[in-house]
Amino acid sequence: MTLLTHELRLLLRSRMALLALLLVALLAAASVAAGMAEVARQRDVIARIQPKQAQDMAAVAQWAAETKDPGTAAYYSFHATWDTPSPLAFAALGLRDVAPYILRVRALGLEAQLYDGEAFNPELALPGRFDFAFVLVYLTPLFVIALFHDLVSGEREAGRLRMLDALAGSGRSLWRRRVLLRGGLLFLALAAPLTIGAILSAVPLPTLLSVQGLVALYLAFWIGVTLLVGRMRWSSVANAATLAGIWLVLTLILPTIAHVAINRLIPVGEGVELTLAQREAVNRAWDIPRADTMRAFYAGHPEWKDSPPLTDAFHYKWYFAFHQVGDESVAPKVAAYRNGIEARDAAARGIGWLLPSVGVQAALTRLANTDMAAQLAYQDRIRAFHEKLRNFYYRYLFTDTPFEKDDFDRAPTFVGGA
Amino acid sequence: MNAITLIARDELRLMRRNRVTVIAFALLTLLTLAAALISWSHQTGIAETRARFQAQAAQEFTAQPDRHPHRMVHFGNFIFRPLPPLAAFDPGVDAFTGNSMFLEGHRQNSANFGDVRQSSLLVRFGQLTPAFVLQVIAPLLLVFLGYGAVARERERGTLRQMLVQGVSARALLLGKLLALAIVAALVGLPALAAFLLIAGQPGALAGPMAVMVLGYGAYLALWSIIVILVSALVRRGRDALLALLALWTVLVILLPRVAPDIAAQTHMLPTRLETDIAIQQDLHRLGDAHNPDDPFFTAFRQKVLRHYGVDRVEDLPVNYNGLLAVEGEKLTSRLFDDYARRSFTVQQAQSRLTDGFGIISPAIALRRLSMAAAGTDLEGHRRFLAQAEAYRYAMVQQLNQLQADTVRYADDKAKDAGADQRKRISADHWQAIPQFRFKPATTGDLVKASLPGLGLLLAWLAFALLALLPVARILQKARA
Repeated sequence: MTLLTHELRLLLRSRMALLALLLVALLAAASVAAGMAEVARQRDVIARIQPKQAQDMAAVAQWAAETKDPGTAAYYSFHATWDTPSPLAFAALGLRDVAPYILRVRALGLEAQLYDGEAFNPELALPGRFDFAFVLVYLTPLFVIALFHDLVSGEREAGRLRMLDALAGSGRSLWRRRVLLRGGLLFLALAAPLTIGAILSAVPLPTLLSVQGLVALYLAFWIGVTLLVGRMRWSSVANAATLAGIWLVLTLILPTIAHVAINRLIPVGEGVELTLAQREAVNRAWDIPRADTMRAFYAGHPEWKDSPPLTDAFHYKWYFAFHQVGDESVAPKVAAYRNGIEARDAAARGIGWLLPSVGVQAALTRLANTDMAAQLAYQDRIRAFHEKLRNFYYRYLFTDTPFEKDDFDRAPTFVGGA
Repeated sequence: MNAITLIARDELRLMRRNRVTVIAFALLTLLTLAAALISWSHQTGIAETRARFQAQAAQEFTAQPDRHPHRMVHFGNFIFRPLPPLAAFDPGVDAFTGNSMFLEGHRQNSANFGDVRQSSLLVRFGQLTPAFVLQVIAPLLLVFLGYGAVARERERGTLRQMLVQGVSARALLLGKLLALAIVAALVGLPALAAFLLIAGQPGALAGPMAVMVLGYGAYLALWSIIVILVSALVRRGRDALLALLALWTVLVILLPRVAPDIAAQTHMLPTRLETDIAIQQDLHRLGDAHNPDDPFFTAFRQKVLRHYGVDRVEDLPVNYNGLLAVEGEKLTSRLFDDYARRSFTVQQAQSRLTDGFGIISPAIALRRLSMAAAGTDLEGHRRFLAQAEAYRYAMVQQLNQLQADTVRYADDKAKDAGADQRKRISADHWQAIPQFRFKPATTGDLVKASLPGLGLLLAWLAFALLALLPVARILQKARA
């Protein structure tokens, strides 16, 4: 123990080491604070829209109720959905700055609504957010390099190496002690701000422990690389240069090359294709016999087939039916589009096993529920909600039940996430 | 002057002899060329896909059968944002903005299917483009090649020797700088070759390209000076290396990420949902077309009746429903434009705040210049959005006018079995509607937009050059 405190005193006497550790703690704290501010802002926005949404619905109910027409009610009622950030979202904001976390939908064709984007400034999203994941994945390796690159070579250059190795029995344990001490302090500088942020955000303990484990593993990887390079018996400067090169390749160059390769090998042009096809299908309904549309609709939804037949007059049930048939006709394209995105995501995760930088980023965004899988899960929840919404209005439309003012309050409401 | 070239030649000879230096240099050259090739083929692929979809959408639009013109208002049209030629060099925000847009009546839709939402998480690690290599990686190479230029002489004691022998510190610094600048020029050479490859494309403009060459040149020169300055000021080579690495991390990696965060928190952007609701509320305040007694639309009806000198809308020579559609679209579009302008003003304020950080980070200044000159910045996206909206409005109003002029009011109102056929008009009308043509920015626009970034970079360069003087004086004293 006294040996350890002695080493600690030695380490902290080095101005650069102290500075590096303080800087890591400062950057980690700043990134946690920035992440928490962003998550708080998103929560505020979600809270802020609720009264506005209710007000909007009340306004629609005000005039649409006069017609008592369920079609009118369904057509003009937009329903809000939202994706509440998880407690850990502050640590890895993932896709939350570019994919919408609020989306309004109505009972019409969903495929024309699901891919709408949120208003955001693309120039701000371009460089990526300053969150804990960024500090860990990009910056931490540089500090590891700064603190460890001259561990042995520095002593050699100072002419102390022979003496240290000659110290009876303490040779190996000395280096182990120094590595553990530096690594431990680095871990503390990263994990302390993170843990405080996690406690304030009520992150569940297992999740927090997993993130701390990730931090430790990632640190261990970089310390390992640094020690390996250190064994080459090069000068400190050559070590630092080599390590900076390795860092550049692992965190910047290889991921960007992998990105291009994945997008090349797994094309997903179907996004636009499916909306083009859906529009074509929906609009074609105006030009074909209405009975054809109804037949196609009842085939998929036999529960409404006893609805009274259409007359010559416009009826909203036909309108909603062709929207749904339009959605259903592009279902294979929707599945292909989604499979493409999932395949790209899976490929990137596969790369994560080779590139620790990618792996840690992927694991963090998964734990924080801010990755592509979380985006797709949100889309699934919108789909499920949209189905409830449709069925709710269909009950009135296909039975010609008048839609009263109170019925507006009976419409299903979206159940937000965590 | 002779001393300067002698020192430069000596430094270059040393670098050439150093195997690590040569390998690093070769790797960067390869990386630049690979980046240029990959980016070029990637962008050509994107351009082809978009052109194909654009042709398909146009074909579908004109192939629509005879129908009521309002059906075409809802059928709408799809348009795709073409890539500017320089996007192969610096794609800017292209991956982050949607690149296709659905244009229809009564609504202003968002641009959808941006790359970032359909790519793996790797897209957030940056994109391998010549711009990325030059902005991020080239300075790092200069750091490694040059950190010891002066510090090494000092460490070995050769610095004092040279100064005693009558070499002025200024000549020494300039000689070392000349050597590193030559290397920097060589580093930029493959990128320049890539640039010329892109210049062969139709539509590439000479003005913005000149600004870009100037900007990237200034940036590499600036880093050469920074490296020499730090190397001259620091006692040991290793300290110079660490200081320069720290500087690079802060200026190139950290600040470009922190600045947007500050901008986003300073200028809050309203959400789409809030904007949509606000527009609905405003519309309701303006007038309610559903309400037969609404004052606004009553006044409009009176005005129309007076203009045609009739008492009932049934007696009008034109279809009153069509006129209502034209008036309604005019109202809603004015609101859309108003809200779009407000949203864009906030975004512009955010971008300006971020750009302000160019004062402390030349990488931010260069990125601004590069995206602006390539036409791939926020302004470039807005250019697309504005033209898309203008096109949407013209198309919808043309269709609404068709409803007023060619569909009879009595037929429009009729609900009998044959009414549906009588309401339809010939498909020739849609074929006569011109397709969307994106008007790219002019040389003047692009150059003007890139000037602030260039100005900042040149100011950095001038400042760094001036800093050489006092540093030379400090170095000169080292003789004593």
